[in-house]
Amino acid sequence: MTKRTGSINDGQALLERIESLLEDTGHADNPLRPVLTEVLEHIHTQNQRMERLLKISDGYQLLERNQTLSLAERCDKQIKRMEKLARISDQYQRNLLEVAESLRQAANQDALTGLANRRHLMERLKDESQRATRKGSQLAVAMMDVDYFKQINDRFGHEVGDQALREIADAVRQGVRRYDIHGRWGGEEFLLMLPETDQPEAVAVLERIRERIGAIHVGEQAPVRLSASFGVTLLRHGEDTDDTLKRADDALFEAKRNGRDRVEVAC
Amino acid sequence: MPSTIPDLAIPATQSTPAIATDWEAGRLSLEGNSYPENSFEFFGRIFAWIQGYLAQSDGPLRLELKLIYMNTSSVKAMMDVFDLLEEAHAGSRAVEVNWYYDPRNERVMEMAEEFREDYGFPFNILPIAND
Repeated sequence: MTKRTGSINDGQALLERIESLLEDTGHADNPLRPVLTEVLEHIHTQNQRMERLLKISDGYQLLERNQTLSLAERCDKQIKRMEKLARISDQYQRNLLEVAESLRQAANQDALTGLANRRHLMERLKDESQRATRKGSQLAVAMMDVDYFKQINDRFGHEVGDQALREIADAVRQGVRRYDIHGRWGGEEFLLMLPETDQPEAVAVLERIRERIGAIHVGEQAPVRLSASFGVTLLRHGEDTDDTLKRADDALFEAKRNGRDRVEVAC
Repeated sequence: MPSTIPDLAIPATQSTPAIATDWEAGRLSLEGNSYPENSFEFFGRIFAWIQGYLAQSDGPLRLELKLIYMNTSSVKAMMDVFDLLEEAHAGSRAVEVNWYYDPRNERVMEMAEEFREDYGFPFNILPIAND
């Protein structure tokens, strides 16, 4: 007899042995026969019960597994949805930032020349004059006006006039130092703020710009040389910036009266 | 089939788009910016109308959208609306979305494309003619 291991094959073999013993007519009168018959039936019933139990148990396991799967699936779907939501929402936010940035630029920039506009210059003038007063440093403020600009417009048309303004803006941009503040004050007027700059230094910067502007010619036939007049003054610490501007304006007027294409200083 | 749900005609405000529906034509349109203080309440009416229409009518449904800015809860609500449409589409109902954008603002088109992803029903992204 082989060693029994309790395996299904062992069980099957045992059943077959019992069945063959019961079928053997030689054991028909054995008193153990009815009991053995009963044991065999009992084993059959137990096997069936075991199978049913397994089936039910497997069923539950399958159900549980499916539920876990569908939960994971639903979770995945929710995550994807959230990601999509965040993606779209982020994009809207980026757009808003861009719009805000372009609005900020439009609010502070002169559309024609790309220079700072009057609004921006007024804010900077306030800041710079306060800073100069606080630090006790010098601030030169200059007003510049293109000479005979109306005649250029009248003679060559507004497109040429606009182009001239753009070239003048370039001349200003190239003529100033890195830390100078400059922009279009309006029409053909430009404002410059030169921080920590004394009078001779300010005049030197403005002369440089004046020369650059003098090198610009407009009009294709019989081109006209451009020029600009400048009035410059130093900030008096603590004064109203309107007074500073007024002095620069008066100096500009002097420059115009003295023949244009020049820098005049107001003390 | 006659409607038991009244059509909507709600003018736009600064923070909410205009809503207009046409039960006979099977059309719902939204136009404007969307950042309502209470998006649940605002979009609730839209959901109710769409659900009512889908349940009580068997006509096609078309959404006409001219949405510019949307806050996060509005984006979520629109995704829910599109999910409703996708469900109806799966039940072989004729549904369609036309999303209009100003060609000067390409970003809106890109966002509509993001919305469109994963949906099977016709989702058209169309430029508005500029004068």
